Amino acid sequence: MAKILGIDLGTTNSAMAIIEGGDPQVLENTEGNRTTPSVVALNKSGERLVGLLAKRQAVVNPQNTISSVKRFIGRKFSEEEVGTDKKNLPFEIRESASGGVEVKMGEKWHKPEEISAMVLAKMKADAEAKTGETIEEAVITVPAYFDDSQRQATKNAGEIAGLKVRRIINEPTAAALAYGLNKKKEEKIVVYDFGGGTFDVSVLEVGDDVVEVKATGGDTHLGGDDLDARIIEFLLEEYKKAEGVDISKDPLALQRLREAAEKAKHELSTTQETEINLPYITSGDSGPKHFVMKLTRAKLESLVDDLVSESIEHTQQVIQDAGLKIEDIDEVILVGGQTRMPAIQEAVKKLFGKEAHKGINPDEVVAIGAAVQAGIFQGDVKDVTLVDVIPLTLGIETLGGVYTPMIEKNTAIPTSQSQTFSTAADNQTSVEIHILQGERSMAVDNKSLGRFILDGIPPSPRGVPQIEVKFDINSNGILEVSAHDKASGKKQSVRIEATTQLSKDEVEKLKKEAEVHAEEDKKKKRLVEVRNQAEQLIYSAEKNLKDWGEKIDDNTKKEVTEKKEALSKTLGETDPETIERAAQELSGVLQKIGQEMYDKEQASQKENETPQEEQKDADNTKEEDK
Amino acid sequence: MHEENGQQNISHDSTSSQEDVSQVEKERDEYLEGWKRAKADFLNYKKKEEERVSHMVKFSNEQIIKDMLHVLDSFDLALETLKDEAIKKGVFLIRTQLEDALKKHGLEKVMISEGQEFDPSVHEAIASIPSQKPPGAIVDEVERGYMLHGKLIRPARVKVSKGNE
Repeated sequence: MAKILGIDLGTTNSAMAIIEGGDPQVLENTEGNRTTPSVVALNKSGERLVGLLAKRQAVVNPQNTISSVKRFIGRKFSEEEVGTDKKNLPFEIRESASGGVEVKMGEKWHKPEEISAMVLAKMKADAEAKTGETIEEAVITVPAYFDDSQRQATKNAGEIAGLKVRRIINEPTAAALAYGLNKKKEEKIVVYDFGGGTFDVSVLEVGDDVVEVKATGGDTHLGGDDLDARIIEFLLEEYKKAEGVDISKDPLALQRLREAAEKAKHELSTTQETEINLPYITSGDSGPKHFVMKLTRAKLESLVDDLVSESIEHTQQVIQDAGLKIEDIDEVILVGGQTRMPAIQEAVKKLFGKEAHKGINPDEVVAIGAAVQAGIFQGDVKDVTLVDVIPLTLGIETLGGVYTPMIEKNTAIPTSQSQTFSTAADNQTSVEIHILQGERSMAVDNKSLGRFILDGIPPSPRGVPQIEVKFDINSNGILEVSAHDKASGKKQSVRIEATTQLSKDEVEKLKKEAEVHAEEDKKKKRLVEVRNQAEQLIYSAEKNLKDWGEKIDDNTKKEVTEKKEALSKTLGETDPETIERAAQELSGVLQKIGQEMYDKEQASQKENETPQEEQKDADNTKEEDK
Repeated sequence: MHEENGQQNISHDSTSSQEDVSQVEKERDEYLEGWKRAKADFLNYKKKEEERVSHMVKFSNEQIIKDMLHVLDSFDLALETLKDEAIKKGVFLIRTQLEDALKKHGLEKVMISEGQEFDPSVHEAIASIPSQKPPGAIVDEVERGYMLHGKLIRPARVKVSKGNE
C-alpha cells in the first residue's frame, strides 16, 4: 500500500515525515535538509524555483520571489491582516475577482494556494525520490485558528500538487499526536508554539481518541526572528559605541553578523557565555576592523525579556478564554525552535508549575504528528505476529558468583545466544550451570530459574575445556538452556517455562532494584573480577615456576615466589585497589621470566643458525657476546 | 436410528474439522505473509542501514568542516586587507595549508569564472548592483562557496549585476 505523507506546511519553513517501520521519520529534501523554506520564485528565464534555491536568489529577483504566502491563503483581500501584511511585501498582491488575494509572480497572477501547491509539489517529489515509492496522499497541518475557507484553500493546494489530502489537522493537535497524548483520557493540554515568525498557543482537550481545540491565541508577528533582530540591533549599537563604525550598511558584514548572532543565540541555550568573533568585519580609515564581543546568556535574556513575557501573557489569556485555570492544565507541549531557549522553558515551567514535553525536536514535532495521523489512516501493517520481548536479562552464574548475561532484556523473541565458557580448576570434571534472571551484577541478587550439572568433562588444566552454553527462547517464551563440552561431545540441557510470566509490577520492581543497587553491584563485581584475575595470575606463576623452574635464575625465582605469596595474602581484602597493586607487581616479575626465556631461546636459535646464511647477524651476536 | 445418528455425527464432525482446516489455513497464510513481510522489512532495513553508514562515513565531518569554513573566510578577508607582502605570503601559506587539509577530507571550492551567470543551486545573492556586466552576471564573489564530496555545504555569496542603469 502506498504511504501517506505527513506535511507541516509552515509560514517560513515546511517539513515532512512518514511512517517507516512503524515509527514516524522526518524525510530530508533533495538538498539534504530536514526543512524546506516555503519560498517560490520565477527567475528571468522563466524557470520555477522552490525552497532553498528560491531563497538564495531573492535579493536579485525580489518582485518574483514569493514567501510567507501562508499569511494570505484562504483570506479575503479586505481582511485587516492582509492590509497590515501587504505593506512590507517585495511582491505585488491584488484582490481577485472573488474577493480573495492574488499574488503576482512573473507575468501571471496566482492564488495563494497555487503558490503553496508549488511547495507541496516539491515536497512530494523529494519524498518520492527519498523513499522510492509513489506518494499520492497526504495529511497537512494548519494553525488551529484557521477558518473553513483557509482550511479549504490549504486542502486545494494539496490537490493542485497532486496529493489527495486525507485530512487537514491542527498543528497543536499534531504536536499532541507526536507525543502520543491522544491516548489519554480527559486531559487538558496547552501547546506553546514559538516558531520563527509566529507565536501560537492553544488549549486542547483530549478524550476517547478525539482531540478538541478549546481556545487559541498568540501573535502572528512574534517569533524567533524578532529575537535575532534584537541581538543584531544590540551588537550593532555596541560596536558603534566601541569602534565608532556603523556596519549596518555593509551587506556582507551584516550577513556575517546575522549568522553569528543566530549561532550565538543557539549556543547560549547550552552555555552561559559565548564570543562572537568576526575578524576583518570591515575596514576603516585606520585599517581593518575586527568584531570581537562577548555575549552572556543573562544579557540575551534581558534583551528579549519583554518578548518572552508577552508570550506568557498570551498563554494566560488563552487559558482564560478556554474557561480554565492554570491548575486545570495536565500537560504542556513545546513546539518551535525558539523553545530551546532556557529562559522560555523556565517561564513556561514557572507558569504551569510542571515540566513541559520537549523530547521531540521542536522544529519537527508537527510534521511527525502529521505522519502519526497518516499512520493511523494507513492502519499500517496488521499485527499478525505479535513481536514479544523478554522483560528481564537472562544469564548464568560464573566464577566468584558473578552474573554473566546471555540475553539482554528487551531482546525480541524468538532468539538464541551462545557463549563458550571453561573450567575454573585443574582436572575439574563437571560444571554447574545456574540459570538466572535479573539485572543485578551478582548472581545471588538475581532470581534463580534453575540449575543443572554437566559432567564427564575429561580431566584437563583449568581454562582448557570448551563448554558451549546456549540459551534459546522460542516464540512462546520457553527457554531451553544447553551446555555442550566440545572435547567429549557430552551434552546436557534443561527447559524452563514461564520466563516471561512476571507481572508488570514485578518487572518494574526488579528493574528499579537494579538501578538502586547499580553502583554497589559494580563495586562487588569489580572486586570479584580483580580476585579472579589475581587467582589466575597466581596459578600461572605457579605453573611457570613448575614448568621452567630449572631455567630461571634463582633471584627471579625468589622474587616471583615472594610476590606471589604477597598477592595471595591480599585476596581476602575488600579493596580491589590493594589486590590490583599486588597483582601488578607479580605480573611485572612474571614478565621478567618471559623475557629471560625469550632471550635464551633466541640466543640458542642464533647459535644453531648456519654462519653462511646469516653472516651479518651471526657477527653481531658475537660482538654482543663479547 | 443408531446408524442415522452415527452418520449425523460423522458429517457434523467433518464440517467442523473442515472449518478447523480452513481456519488453520487462513492463519497459516496470515503468518506466512507476516513472516515474509518481516523478512522483506529486514532486508530493506539492511540496505538502508548500509547506505546510511556509508553516508555517515562521508559526511560525519560536515559540521566540523562547516565551522572551519569561517576560519578560511577570515583568512581570505585578511589577505585582502594585508599590505605587508612578507606577512601576506605567510598568511597565504597558512591558509593554503588549512584548505589542503580540508581538501583531503573531500572539500572543494565552488569555482566562479569571469562573467559567469548567477546560479542559485551553488550561489547565494547578497546584493544586486548596477554594473557594466549583463544583468544576472556575477560581479563580485564576497565569500567563497564549498562542496563536500559533491554536496553543496555552503553556497558562494555573490553580488549580481542588475545591468547598466
